[in-house]
Amino acid sequence: MSWLNAIIQGILTGGFYALFACGLSLLFGVMGIINLAHGDLAVIAGYVAVLLIPETHVPVVWSFVVVVPIFAVGGYILQRTLLQASLDRDPFTTLLVTFGLSVVAENALLEAFSSNGQSLNIGSLIAHSFNPTTSISLSYFSLTVLGVAVVVLGALQLFLSRSGTGRLIRAVADDKEAAQLVGVNYRHIFGIAAAIAFATVALAGIASGMYTEFAPTSGPANLLFAFESVVIGGIGSLWGTLVGGIVLGVAQQIGAQINPAYQVLAGHIVFLAVLAVRPRGLFGLRTSS
Amino acid sequence: MAPLLELVHVKKRFGQVTIAEDVSFAVEQGAAVGIVGPNGAGKTTLFGVVSGDVRPDAGDVVFDGRVVNRLDPAARCRLGIGRTYQVPRPFDKMTVFENVLVAAQQGARARGGVSHAHALRALESTRLSDDANRLAGSLGLLQRKRLELARAIATQPRLLLLDEVAGGLTDLEVRELVDVVRAANAQGIAVIWIEHVVRALLATVDRLLCLAGGEVIGDGLPRDVLASPRVRDVYLGTDATAAESVA
Repeated sequence: MSWLNAIIQGILTGGFYALFACGLSLLFGVMGIINLAHGDLAVIAGYVAVLLIPETHVPVVWSFVVVVPIFAVGGYILQRTLLQASLDRDPFTTLLVTFGLSVVAENALLEAFSSNGQSLNIGSLIAHSFNPTTSISLSYFSLTVLGVAVVVLGALQLFLSRSGTGRLIRAVADDKEAAQLVGVNYRHIFGIAAAIAFATVALAGIASGMYTEFAPTSGPANLLFAFESVVIGGIGSLWGTLVGGIVLGVAQQIGAQINPAYQVLAGHIVFLAVLAVRPRGLFGLRTSS
Repeated sequence: MAPLLELVHVKKRFGQVTIAEDVSFAVEQGAAVGIVGPNGAGKTTLFGVVSGDVRPDAGDVVFDGRVVNRLDPAARCRLGIGRTYQVPRPFDKMTVFENVLVAAQQGARARGGVSHAHALRALESTRLSDDANRLAGSLGLLQRKRLELARAIATQPRLLLLDEVAGGLTDLEVRELVDVVRAANAQGIAVIWIEHVVRALLATVDRLLCLAGGEVIGDGLPRDVLASPRVRDVYLGTDATAAESVA
């Protein structure tokens, strides 16, 4: 029974990972940006909540209402300025710039908040769970996060495939020069994609901050798991990212069930195995021509 | 009437290679102009200068009385400059209809029903209506060329820059494309057409420019240009026979 529980916990963790990963996937899929600061953005979202929530009298549970819009606007501005300027040079510059952002973010947070862990305390809400048997425990909070991840990914998928703006995002992702030639201001569209990516990572950062402690140096671990989720699921597929997150989560929980020291290792092994067997990921699109 | 497009002393070099050395010419509203010249004469680069992909080293591009040097390709498209690429670049993962819809909504700044009407008309005029719901990535060469044309037409241009749309097609296919271009021109869209398939050009244009070594070495009625000694010098071989066939 504890094995079943491990799988269930893994699926729930997968929701977190998918939420982290979808912004990463979007930035790469649309602009070709590998955002090495992605994990740090989630941490910054946590700190923004820590700073702002006492001022706004918004209950901590609803802190995303405040933080997500800030991140969306910040994402648009950062894309139109620093990230676009680096994209105009070459992809390698972009990699260096996001790496630099990550270093700056970590050190600025250390300076401002010290290395002590913080968390977003939502009180007893975090402890509620549903226990169908004595060995299986479904945390309502984790279930909610998984639900949010499914809704966010589904909404994003629908937005991309059905809306006019989504169509423009697909067009610039495909060929930004050709898009420009038919009148598309691709820089603005890139900005919108960045706004969405930043909004989702803020959501992930806040959810994670409610669940576990975070510190200025928590970013890279977030980034690593998000990366693994994207690659396992297949770049360019949002539902793939969800499955990737779940596969990673389940692998880690099963590893932990064998021996607590194997938790992260098991995730890496599955990641490498997928890379070896299906380099394009489980749902990776075979690129035509 | 002021010319629709004017190039004024345009100069462009890539390293040691001169692509354009003091190129000047004007194109009237609704005109149909062909451009010929040997490979590497800088024809495509010249289109880049007009559409905004390529920044000239010197000189001005004037569209509809306005110097557009500083505008990016998207802004120039919205002003009415439509362009096709030599190798079609449709949005492969989108349907044919979506491809033209993006062009109609962004290039022509149309919304809702109007943009749909623009898109449908562009598909109809290029005979792509039956393929509207196919993925662009699944199209063959002829259809891809048509889509490239349809997308440019959907932006409701006043000037259409066509870069070798007839290359690689059979005679019959070329004739169909010529009809499409002539129909667009008949609606008042000025056309500048770079083409190696001289026959296709002669069926459409009433003025021919010959570019070589970064210079305009011939400009006038197609038969006069093709018959001029300077142009024939540049074109030893196959295209000289094409010139004879009209002379």
